[in-house]
Amino acid sequence: MEDQRKVSFAEALTKGDLFVKLSLLWMGAGYARRKQYVKAAIMTVLELAVILFTVNFAMQYIPKFGTLGTVSPVRSFNVDTMKNEFNDYDNSFQILLFSLFSFVVWAAFVAVWVKNIMDVYRLQLMEEAGEHINSFKEDLVSFKEEKFHITLLTLPVLGVVVFTVIPILLLILVAFTNYDQNHMPPSGLFNWVGFNNFISLFGGGGLTVSFGYAFVRVLGWTLVWSFFATITTYVGGILLSLLLNSKKTRLPKLWRTLFIATIAVPQFVSLLLVRNFFSNGGIVNTICANIGLTGFLQKIGLVSTSYIPFLSAPGWAHVMIILINIWIGVPYQMLIATGVLMNLPTEQVESAKVDGAKPFQIFRKITMPYMLFVTGSALVTDFVKNINNFNVIYLLTENVYTTTNQVMANSQAKEVDLLVTWLFRLTQDYYNYKMASVIGIVVFVICAVFTLIAFNRMIRGDKEGTYQ
Amino acid sequence: MKKIKENRTSTIVLHNILIGVLAFIWLVPIIWLLCTSFSTYDGMNTSTFFPEQWSISHYVRLFQPDSVAQFPRWFLNTFVIACANCVISTLFILMVAYATSVMRFPMRKPLMNMAVILNLFPGMLAMIAVYFTLKTFNLTNNYLGLILVYSASSGLGYLIAKGFFDTVPRALCESARIDGCSEARIFFQMILPLSRPIVVYTVISSFLVPWMDFVYAKMILNAGISSQYTVAVGLYRMLDKSLINTYFTQFCAGGVLVSIPISALFVIMQKFYVEGVTGGAVKG
Repeated sequence: MEDQRKVSFAEALTKGDLFVKLSLLWMGAGYARRKQYVKAAIMTVLELAVILFTVNFAMQYIPKFGTLGTVSPVRSFNVDTMKNEFNDYDNSFQILLFSLFSFVVWAAFVAVWVKNIMDVYRLQLMEEAGEHINSFKEDLVSFKEEKFHITLLTLPVLGVVVFTVIPILLLILVAFTNYDQNHMPPSGLFNWVGFNNFISLFGGGGLTVSFGYAFVRVLGWTLVWSFFATITTYVGGILLSLLLNSKKTRLPKLWRTLFIATIAVPQFVSLLLVRNFFSNGGIVNTICANIGLTGFLQKIGLVSTSYIPFLSAPGWAHVMIILINIWIGVPYQMLIATGVLMNLPTEQVESAKVDGAKPFQIFRKITMPYMLFVTGSALVTDFVKNINNFNVIYLLTENVYTTTNQVMANSQAKEVDLLVTWLFRLTQDYYNYKMASVIGIVVFVICAVFTLIAFNRMIRGDKEGTYQ
Repeated sequence: MKKIKENRTSTIVLHNILIGVLAFIWLVPIIWLLCTSFSTYDGMNTSTFFPEQWSISHYVRLFQPDSVAQFPRWFLNTFVIACANCVISTLFILMVAYATSVMRFPMRKPLMNMAVILNLFPGMLAMIAVYFTLKTFNLTNNYLGLILVYSASSGLGYLIAKGFFDTVPRALCESARIDGCSEARIFFQMILPLSRPIVVYTVISSFLVPWMDFVYAKMILNAGISSQYTVAVGLYRMLDKSLINTYFTQFCAGGVLVSIPISALFVIMQKFYVEGVTGGAVKG
């Protein structure tokens, strides 16, 4: 069995024997002394690899991290090869990326190094106490026993670090540079500008006042949208699931299949279709004009054009987007709710019925609390997902909705934009990476304040055992 | 007395009519998609709901690739990517969910809090940096890059599966441990079979990611080479302002063809939901 005694790094340094201290330099020393030769070899190879990495790779980039490069590309004619050649120029983005990568590798290595010292000290204590020291084979077996979580988590965590953590850190760094259309590597260099981008977003800096205005507008709609999109589909999904699973439903399988058919169609098909369905010259407008609805709306002043601007005027578009999202979201939530409700403790419902509880009371006192327990944390993630719900907004409004608000247009924003669609347009069409990064960070801070409070309230007191 | 009232025929009829009306509303755009795909007209029909003349010519044209539309090729691309993503993501999600739900270790809470924080960042923000990183390693415009983009961070989506594992009676695991069962066996032979609905949900959702997504695909496959596209990017391109009048009906036909296998899959998966965990296990 693995020894569970607690040791600290300081204790390991002061009370460790020669080989523990030697492990500071040669990471395999402590293991070699306790006859764990395979582990010693692994640690030695790891140490060598990190040293090679540092010398051959990291040192090319880290020294330039402070300036992000100073040498611009210059093309010159080489007389020997008769070709145009570039000088050995700096690429600001590569310097930023590879420096960051080196920092992460070093940080991980330091963590392993510290843990290594503690581990070999623990081995020393075990030997002194005359305890059994694991063979390499026994160490391996422990990875499907008490250390199974390490086996499970290593790859997923690694994936997240490389494809989420490092990119996020990278763009946080970009928020403090002037990386935009005028400073694009490899042809141009960018450098550090401190908090200038944040100041422009909050209305400072003269020329960019419109950014602050657009930001408040877009943020407001983002929050309204997320709130309604989450609540409507969540409640709608549970109600639809209860409706379909009721004993009164005839052919429940058929109905469920029909609803699922609507979400089986990929979103880019169904949403692009719906957008043409509701377009200014589309089929719904034709029908509305034929039955006189358009005329009626013109009379009461809701519509001033010859068509109903379902997705092309503020107000109309906002409502339509939330309605269309109900269409696309409720069957999903119904699927999830059906799966969860299958585990609903039936005794509680039965005894409540015997006591004469009405269906609504059962829903409010038993079904909803149970649903909230199982999917409550998912509700919070849904809210955040909706803040970042790119598909619905982009597919419904891109190339359809044009803003008439000049100040918004100046910041490349629209009234129906979420912060993410705005961010996307800034990067894809205008190469404004610095502002996109700043917006991203601000979104994160605002989301974090909202949702961490909600999330902690939901899982506070570790109620995980309640329904087991 | 109450029971009789509850099951009266009129409420049953009303109940089913309500479901029928809802189902009809939900299906209108799908019906329009189907009808339009059989139209003889290339562009969008804005005057009538049903096409004036019916034909399958646009389905036939989908299988005669031209420089814009290479539907069979797109379908294959997406299928390969979807399979790879399905395997990797499902494994990652279930592994993380099991570790955080059933096992107890010192880093559990910090890791879960980290995941919450990471989920708060706009995915788009990370994607922009991922794009440049992949470009640095020459991984844009190919399968591997796109598979990595979809599956590498999928472990972060573990919360729903964890919520489900939390409801599996802990007594089962305890008794297995006492019987000398390893953690790995508890995971594979006890928890997974007991959690079929959530396993199925995870499989569906990860298989669907490449079929549903077009924005990441559009970012990664930005060379404009039609034969590299996934179905999503390809069909999206068909609705460009310059192409919509020639390709709208083909877009509908393509949409129908993509939806058929996915719907079939959904229906098969659906059975697992209905069976659920009601079969075995000590229920809480």
